[in-house]
Amino acid sequence: MDESKKRLVQRLIRRIPTKMLKTTLEKWGHLTGEQQRAMDSIQSKWALTESLLAICEENELAVKHLTKLEMIYMMDNPDQGMWYAFQLTDPGDDAQSVDLMQFKEQFKSHLRELVRQVSVKIKKHTDEAVWIRIAWGDTYSRPDHLKPTYVVHYLQTPYVFVTRLTSKQKPMLFQAMILSTRYQYSKDANLSGRNLTAIRDLLMRKYQQVFPIKYPSPLTERKQTVTNPHVEREQAKPAANRLQMACEAFGGGTLPQLQSAVYKLETKFRDHTNTLMMEREEPFRCVVKFSSTNLLESLKNCASSGIASTPVTPLLSSITLKGKNYFVITDNGPGPSSQMRQTQN
Amino acid sequence: MERHHNSAMRTPLNSVAVQRRSKTKSYRLSYRSGIGAASRLGFTPGLTARRLNTSRKAPKSNKITEKVTKEQLALLVKTEWKLSYVTPLYQFRHTQLKSYSRQLSAFIAAEKQQGLAVDVEGTQNHFRVSFSLVQEMTESVDDAVTVLIQIHSKPLIARQDEPQRPVWSGWLTCINGNPEYLRSLPKDFICLPLFCSSEAGGLTSLVKSWFQQSFDCCFGPLEISHTSLQWLMALWTNCQPESSIRQLKMIWTLPVEPQLQVTYTVDAEDAWQLWSSVRKENTAGEGEENSIDIEEVMSFMQGLKGHFFRHFRLDLSAGRLNEVSTALGSAKHSGRIKFSNSKYMITTLMLLTECALLKMPI
Repeated sequence: MDESKKRLVQRLIRRIPTKMLKTTLEKWGHLTGEQQRAMDSIQSKWALTESLLAICEENELAVKHLTKLEMIYMMDNPDQGMWYAFQLTDPGDDAQSVDLMQFKEQFKSHLRELVRQVSVKIKKHTDEAVWIRIAWGDTYSRPDHLKPTYVVHYLQTPYVFVTRLTSKQKPMLFQAMILSTRYQYSKDANLSGRNLTAIRDLLMRKYQQVFPIKYPSPLTERKQTVTNPHVEREQAKPAANRLQMACEAFGGGTLPQLQSAVYKLETKFRDHTNTLMMEREEPFRCVVKFSSTNLLESLKNCASSGIASTPVTPLLSSITLKGKNYFVITDNGPGPSSQMRQTQN
Repeated sequence: MERHHNSAMRTPLNSVAVQRRSKTKSYRLSYRSGIGAASRLGFTPGLTARRLNTSRKAPKSNKITEKVTKEQLALLVKTEWKLSYVTPLYQFRHTQLKSYSRQLSAFIAAEKQQGLAVDVEGTQNHFRVSFSLVQEMTESVDDAVTVLIQIHSKPLIARQDEPQRPVWSGWLTCINGNPEYLRSLPKDFICLPLFCSSEAGGLTSLVKSWFQQSFDCCFGPLEISHTSLQWLMALWTNCQPESSIRQLKMIWTLPVEPQLQVTYTVDAEDAWQLWSSVRKENTAGEGEENSIDIEEVMSFMQGLKGHFFRHFRLDLSAGRLNEVSTALGSAKHSGRIKFSNSKYMITTLMLLTECALLKMPI
């Protein structure tokens, strides 16, 4: 049996958890009822690999069928690996009217022009997302199916989400992308994370947003702690205000699950009590990384509990407002950094 | 005689000491201040102020590389050590190391036979223990010589070509221990308060048990307090002109649900500039080293926290500093230390020895 096919099967069985395998194989639809039942009864990964290899021989399945299986699994379980968000800019007049068939044809043909040997598969997901699987090759070698790139694009939006991509592959992918979607440029959206759903929700504002209102509303605190009634009465209003502002900055309800946010600070050190540092011309260079299992939830709790002052600083609220989690902050930067000139200590 | 009183006072105290292993409070306990016999007679643990030195000499480099052999140094750097404190060892002799090696080997073999799980690959192996001295790794004349213990596994089929890496190593040391305390110990006691062990679970506890049995001592966990971590930040940053620290990295955790971790990394040059800006004008004489005061260290930390606050309006004091690291080494609040560069080891060890001595029950 073809070595590359064998390795692909091994990789698939290794990646797909046994409990997901059954549904994924069913959706794949290339197994007879008997073969499906046989696969269901096997437990060990090694045996599953052997069994699947045998079935491929029997049913004369090719690499393209196996990549289809991988794609089905990825589309159902997108929240793994690392995803990077990009944005397409400067749409042409007909950008909004690109339909799926048009996009598919054009993308494939443009990419094939740019990369001689490439294997492209495009599928539409139930939630209107277009999934693209690309196996890259070059003039001397066939497409490498063991290191595919997955691309997710929502037509009629400028957002593109990509998994692993080398610096050589990137320009070619985006060239094909902008040609087939009728945009002019693409840029890094500075947002990355493990959960595709989270970064998508963040960028496309699909989480529960809370807007400032004139009169403070009775947003209930989720955790009820037992305290002194006098303290409670006194603290009720400030606590409600903090919670309101925390929700305005980060959202209400269940927040998209981001893992980290990185700020590269290149601002001057402004501390009036330290004259030597104030005289410095160069910026104070440092990098701050916030990480958590659910970053937005943590930051929201920092704000509502008072660890972070409210109103929430634009640096932190930019994560949700701008849908980014990588920032370079300089003194000349827009908005956030210029407001940082207030030297509170 | 003072000594007589001390040994009489000492015995009932161990049981009391074992309880008082609370995290931060013990650092405020009484440290002998050389007032005289009167302070040592009555056991008054909580009354007189005992704390870390409020000022220290700036770290000097490379004394250690001149004296300690390269092979031994290689064993000590680049491993993350778990720290514990040890009470003084009774009748430990630096001349009996061979005998101790045999005894510890036998002890480990006996414990294994009894079914104590020792988590090393190839459980059929026998263990070969070697005790050795790390000469010249001392700072003051009162320091006892550092003892290094290594445990190698002896496979049943000896393979000549494989270099023997120890499956476990540990060392006991005392660097610049408080001279009054050291001199006040009775003749038969050797003080090596700092114990560093490479993590290997079962073997560490076996070694500790053997020491406890053989030398009537007591082990306890040694955490690195917030103050000590700040000291390390300042001491390491102070070395920047001579030997680049590459970056100063701090890891904080904030008590929210889910826990938020903040990694604050400052460029080496910028950290150095901030540090020198908070140093006070020192009127030290020619050739004398400047000493560093705790106030300078705290101003340094305040400066860093302030810069962070001005951007994020988030007060790091609400959280806990868990780890500090530079190119010279890393230290964790949970009691782990790594020396990445042997040049400044001595100063770090001096600080850790002080911390260990603070934990002594007497």
